[in-house]
Amino acid sequence: MTLGTLIGACGWEAVQVPDLNAEATGAYTSDLLSDVMAHGPEGAVLITVQNHTNTVAVCTLVGAPAILVVHGREIPDDMREAAAREGIALLRTKDDQFNASLKMGRALAAGKQG
Amino acid sequence: MTMSEVAEVLQAEVLVKGDGLLRRVGHVMASDLMSDVLLVDEEDMLLLTSLASDQVLRTAQIVGAVGVVVVNGKPLPSSMVNVANDLHMTLATSRLSKYDACVAVHAARHPL
Amino acid sequence: MNAPGSQPPVVPDDRPELGETGNDPLVLLELIQRLKVRDVMTPDLVTLPRAASMQQAQELMRQKKISGVPVEENGRFFGLVSIDDIIRALVAGTIHESCGRHMTTKLVVLEDDMPLSFALRYFDRYHYGRFPVLNRDRRLVGIICQRDINRALLVELTRELQRLESASVQRGGEGAAGSLYLLREFPICKYDFENAGKAANQIKQVLQEKQFASKVIRRIAVAAYELEINLCVHSDGGVLSWQVSSGRAEVIARDAGPGIEDVEWACRDGTSTANEWIRSLGFGAGMGLVNVRRVSDEFEITSKKGSGTTVKAVIYIEGGAA
Repeated sequence: MTLGTLIGACGWEAVQVPDLNAEATGAYTSDLLSDVMAHGPEGAVLITVQNHTNTVAVCTLVGAPAILVVHGREIPDDMREAAAREGIALLRTKDDQFNASLKMGRALAAGKQG
Repeated sequence: MTMSEVAEVLQAEVLVKGDGLLRRVGHVMASDLMSDVLLVDEEDMLLLTSLASDQVLRTAQIVGAVGVVVVNGKPLPSSMVNVANDLHMTLATSRLSKYDACVAVHAARHPL
Repeated sequence: MNAPGSQPPVVPDDRPELGETGNDPLVLLELIQRLKVRDVMTPDLVTLPRAASMQQAQELMRQKKISGVPVEENGRFFGLVSIDDIIRALVAGTIHESCGRHMTTKLVVLEDDMPLSFALRYFDRYHYGRFPVLNRDRRLVGIICQRDINRALLVELTRELQRLESASVQRGGEGAAGSLYLLREFPICKYDFENAGKAANQIKQVLQEKQFASKVIRRIAVAAYELEINLCVHSDGGVLSWQVSSGRAEVIARDAGPGIEDVEWACRDGTSTANEWIRSLGFGAGMGLVNVRRVSDEFEITSKKGSGTTVKAVIYIEGGAA
């Protein structure tokens, strides 16, 4: 499912999306970057509160196309710059990790059917 | 939905039955930051987390959670089982990822 | 043999860590930090002037059953005649010579306003039986030996015990204003992650037994937990205490350092001085003080960079919203 479709389906705030056609094959929810590095699947959107540059670095490593920052956390400038450099999309929502995961799950499931 | 039903849905292994196994789950929180867990005022919370530390259990007790499920199939330090027993906190582990666990719990609570 | 008056008494200037006596239970720890050397020493001293003979010193020791005689004149301290010095003088046949000539001058002394914990370290380190005590003006004001310390601790501990026993504990939360009294204190050690949060868990268990309103319990527990973790992660260790009386619960965290330079800044959201390792354990996304303030009815923090910090959270139990 493309990021553009996902954003439309879930209502995420598109903070910075370099490529709306980038593919998302799933999602991964974690606030522990060590855990993301160990288990984050390639092509999955990372759902997290961790709003800093390290998150971007980890996503580059595991091949995540986008980061969904939850709980309405602010995205600092240095994170934006890092994401822009790496070509990783930044999304944002007021939902918490649980609800964001549910929405993402529904959208991705619908995408697989449609 | 009770903690015991959650464990079933998540194919989780219950390590410590605690006081919460048969209690109803209210709010679900899927966080790894205990500082965030302490900000929530919900009662009867289920905590889904990737963090395998004693802190998780202690935080869970403080906020009155009904139970903790550690996801990602993480092996737990034995101290966690001891602490869970001390605090009578229901503790289970699941091989599912946190994302999949969230989706599964929700699906079980709102069957189509 | 030391030349008389040639070397002034030594006050070691490397300050040992407070409370480093390892296994002290909490009340004891507090006492040895709170009590000063002057609270414990023997102030009425038997002394001799330099001109007095070693034999006079020996007589004095025998009569008064003491093991050392300070040599001083009008408060000015010169040295100490110990039993060893007496024995040496007896063997060398100099027992009739002056104290000034044969006393020990290379001495470790204590200052009267030092905490007792310092004195204990010196006893540990130097293996002397006693230490002369000087005041700020380098006047001799007393002498302290192990027996003095034991006696003082016994007296203080008894007092403490009586205070705790006389506090009556009743069921809470039913208009029992002023009659409920609970007090507990927990030492919290820096980076003691194994136990971090344990005190707060215990506090919550007690509150549940006393059957306070659940929302009140939660607020007290959250305050205690945040403050405890704070002590563990952001300080060099300290004491977490809580008490319930007169319809209020107070949770107080006291540490001995390093102090917060800008208290207001530290109370803002998202601040943290914790390092990566601490964060990986699940701590450290802030000092938690914002949350403490959020759950408290009254919140007070006093800190000075370089010295200690005290944070106090008050939660009303009676009457008000739960």
